[in-house]
Amino acid sequence: MEGSVGEELAVGCVLSLRTTLNDEIEGQIVAYDRPSNILVIQEGSSKAGARRNVRLLKANYIKDFTFLKKAEDPLDVDKCFIDLAGLQAREDAALRQAEIEAERIGVGVTSEAQSIFDALSKTLPVHWDKTVIVVMNEVRVSSPYLPENVTGGTPAANDRVKKVLELERKRLQARNSSQV
Amino acid sequence: MPAQKSRLGMNPQQGRASTNGYSRRRVDTMTGSKMENKMQPKKSASPNFGKITGPSRDRLIYVLSFLIGHHVEVHVKNGSIISGIFHATNADRDFEIVLKMAQVVKDASMREQKSSRDNITTPQLMIVPTRELVQLLAKDVSLDEFTKGHSNEKGKDLLIDSVISHSHHLETERELTPWIPDEDDPECPELENIFDGTLDRNWDQFEANAALFGVKSTFNEEIYTTKLERGPQMKEREKVASRIVREIEGQEAHDFHQAEERGFNFHDDLDEESRYSSVCRESNDTRFRETENTCNSEIFSGSVGVVTSKSYPEPSSTEVCSEVQALQNETLASSTSSSLDEDKYLHTDKDLGIYPVSDCNHQASDRITQRSPPLDGESRLDSNQKDQSDKIENIVQDSRASEGGFEGLSANGTLCNPSSSSQGDITNEPSDSQVLVNVSTAIKSVASRVRPGSSSNHVPADSAPNQPGLSPSSSSGSLSSEKSTLNVNAKEFKLNPNAKSFTPSTSARPQAEVSDGSFYYPNNVASLQPMHGLPVGMGVAPFGHQPVFYNPHAPPMQSSQAYIHPNGSMYGQQMIVGQPPQFYYVQGYPPIAAFIQEMQHKGRKY
Repeated sequence: MEGSVGEELAVGCVLSLRTTLNDEIEGQIVAYDRPSNILVIQEGSSKAGARRNVRLLKANYIKDFTFLKKAEDPLDVDKCFIDLAGLQAREDAALRQAEIEAERIGVGVTSEAQSIFDALSKTLPVHWDKTVIVVMNEVRVSSPYLPENVTGGTPAANDRVKKVLELERKRLQARNSSQV
Repeated sequence: MPAQKSRLGMNPQQGRASTNGYSRRRVDTMTGSKMENKMQPKKSASPNFGKITGPSRDRLIYVLSFLIGHHVEVHVKNGSIISGIFHATNADRDFEIVLKMAQVVKDASMREQKSSRDNITTPQLMIVPTRELVQLLAKDVSLDEFTKGHSNEKGKDLLIDSVISHSHHLETERELTPWIPDEDDPECPELENIFDGTLDRNWDQFEANAALFGVKSTFNEEIYTTKLERGPQMKEREKVASRIVREIEGQEAHDFHQAEERGFNFHDDLDEESRYSSVCRESNDTRFRETENTCNSEIFSGSVGVVTSKSYPEPSSTEVCSEVQALQNETLASSTSSSLDEDKYLHTDKDLGIYPVSDCNHQASDRITQRSPPLDGESRLDSNQKDQSDKIENIVQDSRASEGGFEGLSANGTLCNPSSSSQGDITNEPSDSQVLVNVSTAIKSVASRVRPGSSSNHVPADSAPNQPGLSPSSSSGSLSSEKSTLNVNAKEFKLNPNAKSFTPSTSARPQAEVSDGSFYYPNNVASLQPMHGLPVGMGVAPFGHQPVFYNPHAPPMQSSQAYIHPNGSMYGQQMIVGQPPQFYYVQGYPPIAAFIQEMQHKGRKY
C-alpha cells in the first residue's frame, strides 16, 4: 500500500495493521525507510525496561492498517548507541548456545528416541552418534532404545544405563498415556 | 575498531553458497563497514559513496545492528518461517538477511502441523534475499538497550534455573488433577473431621500401642507435670480455676494471636503471612532508632520477652513487633539504668508501648534467663537507654493500664526484678533471689528498676513505687491470687545500667561462637553518639552470654565501630563464662571489668 506511505513515515505513530500473510501487528513505528520499503515497528507495552517484539516489515506486504494514535518518537536519537563489542559477544554466546543445542538433537531419529535422549541427558552425559545414543562415551544405546539395546561399557555403567533407561521409558509412557 | 569491523561480518565458514549467489564475504564486509559508520544514527557525516543515507535509513540500520546476535524469525513470501541468529545484513543494498544456525521452523508447504522432529534440519547459515523477505521478527528485545546501548544488558549474566537445567527441551508439565481419595476409607478419616471430638476420654494411646504393637509404655504423667492433689477441695479449686480461665480467655486480647486463640478475629485484613508466620522486624519507630544503632549487649531477652508478652493490649503491628523485638533485645539493665526522665514516657501513648506477643511471644517462655547483671557504675548510655527506659515505661504503663486484665503470663517467664537494693545502689549485686514471672510484677519492677540509679521517684504512678525493696515476692504476691504460675525458682533479675540495648542488625548474623574468641566487625558503623563512648554493649547474661568487648583500636573510642554482639540474636547460647581473656577492655571503663567479674561469678546461678 504505497499510498499510505505518508502516514507511515511518521515515526512514533501507533498503528494496527494486517499483512498479506494475515499476521496482525499492532505497534509503534520506530523507523521507516522508503528506499528499501522497510517499516520498523515495536510492539508491546511502553514501560521502561520492558521487552518488546521488534518487527521489520516490508511495507509492500501490508494489506491494511489502522492509524491508532500519534505518540512520540520511541528512540531518543541522542542516546542511541551501539556497543559493537557487546554485540559481538552476544552473537558468539548465542551461536555457542545454538550449537550446543543442535548437538542434542539427533538427526534422523524418531521423536521417541529424542525424548529418551533428553531424559537420559538429565542425569548422564550423552551425545549422539548418528542414531546411537552414546552415554558416558562408553555405553551405546541403539535403536529401538530398549534396555536390551544397551551395549558396551563396564558392567556397572551398563547396568546403570539400563536402569535409567527403563525408568525413563516408564515415565515417558506414563506421561504419554496421561496426555493422550 | 577495524578489527571489529571485519570480524563483525566475517563468516568463519567458508564455502557455503548463499542462496542468491552473493559472495558472503562481500556482504559481510559491507555490513561491517556500515555498522561502524552508523553508530550515531542521526549523524550522516560519513562520506556518501553512492550509498543511501538519511535519518530514516540510519534508524533502520541502527535497529538492525541492534539485533545482531539475537534470535529472530524471518517470514518469507511463501509463508515459511526461518528461525536463526541474526548475523548480518546487506545494509547498503537491499537488506538481505543473513542468519546463522538457521532452520526452517515452519514450512509453508507442509499442510499439517508436523512435529518438529520430523523435519529436522541441521542448522546452517542461511541468507534470505530481499525479494523473499516479508518480515523479520525479533522477540523480547530489551527496550532499554535501544537507548542505552548494551551496557545495560543483563541477560547473559542471569542464569535462571531452567536455563541451567535445560529443562526446556525435556518433558513438559503434566496435566495436574486434584487428588480424590478412594471411597471413604475408615482408615483415612476425612481431613476435616479429624479434629472433631478431640476429647475422647476413652482413648488411651498407651493401651492402643500395647495392643497393636506390644509396646510397653513407661509413661508416667507425673514426671511431666505437677501432681494434682485430688482431695476434697478439688472441686472448689477446679471451679476457681475455671473461673479464672474463663476470665482470662474472655478478655479482649490485643495481640492478634491471642485474640485468635480466644475467638476474636478482628484482624482479617492481615494476610496470612502477617498473621501466622512473619517475623517481627524492627520498625522505623524513631523511638528505637537509636537503639538500633547502638552496640548490642546481650540482653535479657527472655525476661524482656516475658515482660512484653501478653501484657500489651495492642493489636500487633509491625511497629509494635519491632518494638518488642527491640525491647527483647535490649538489656533491661541498660534500660532501667538510665536515669532519665522516665516520667515523660509515662505519658506516652499507651498504644505505642505495646509489645504484642505475636511472634515474639514464644520467646518469653523459653527464655528463662535470669542472670541479673550487676549494676555497675553509673555509666549510662544516653538515648540508648532512654529509649529502652522508654519502652519499659510503656510496658509499665500499659501493663498498668491493663492491670485488670492480667494476662496469663506464662509462668515460665522470668521477671526482671531489680528489686531489693537496686534502688539507689546499682552496684549492689542483688542476691540471687527468686525471680518471679509475672508481667505486672515485671512492670512494676521495671518501673522501679528503670530508675536504677535514680531513685524511686521515677517510679511511675504506681503506688507501690518507692519501695526500694519491691521484692518479687511482694509484687507477685499481689498478683499471686491470679497467677499461681510464677516460677518460684526463677532468678531475680538485676538491672545493669551499663548494659546497652541490643539491636540486631538485619545484615549481621554473626556466625562465630564467642567462645572462639572471635570478634567481628559489625556491618553497620553506627553513630556512637548516644553512648558514652562505650562501643560495645555489655550483655546481661540471662542467657549466659558473656559480654564481649570488641575494640580493635583501643585508644580512639570514637573510632570503634558499632558492635553487634556476637550472640546477639542467638538466644540460648551458652555463656562463655570463664574466658575473661577474650575481653578487650575499652579504655577507661573499669567498671566493665568489675562487671565481667561479677558476671562470671554470677555465672550459672539460675
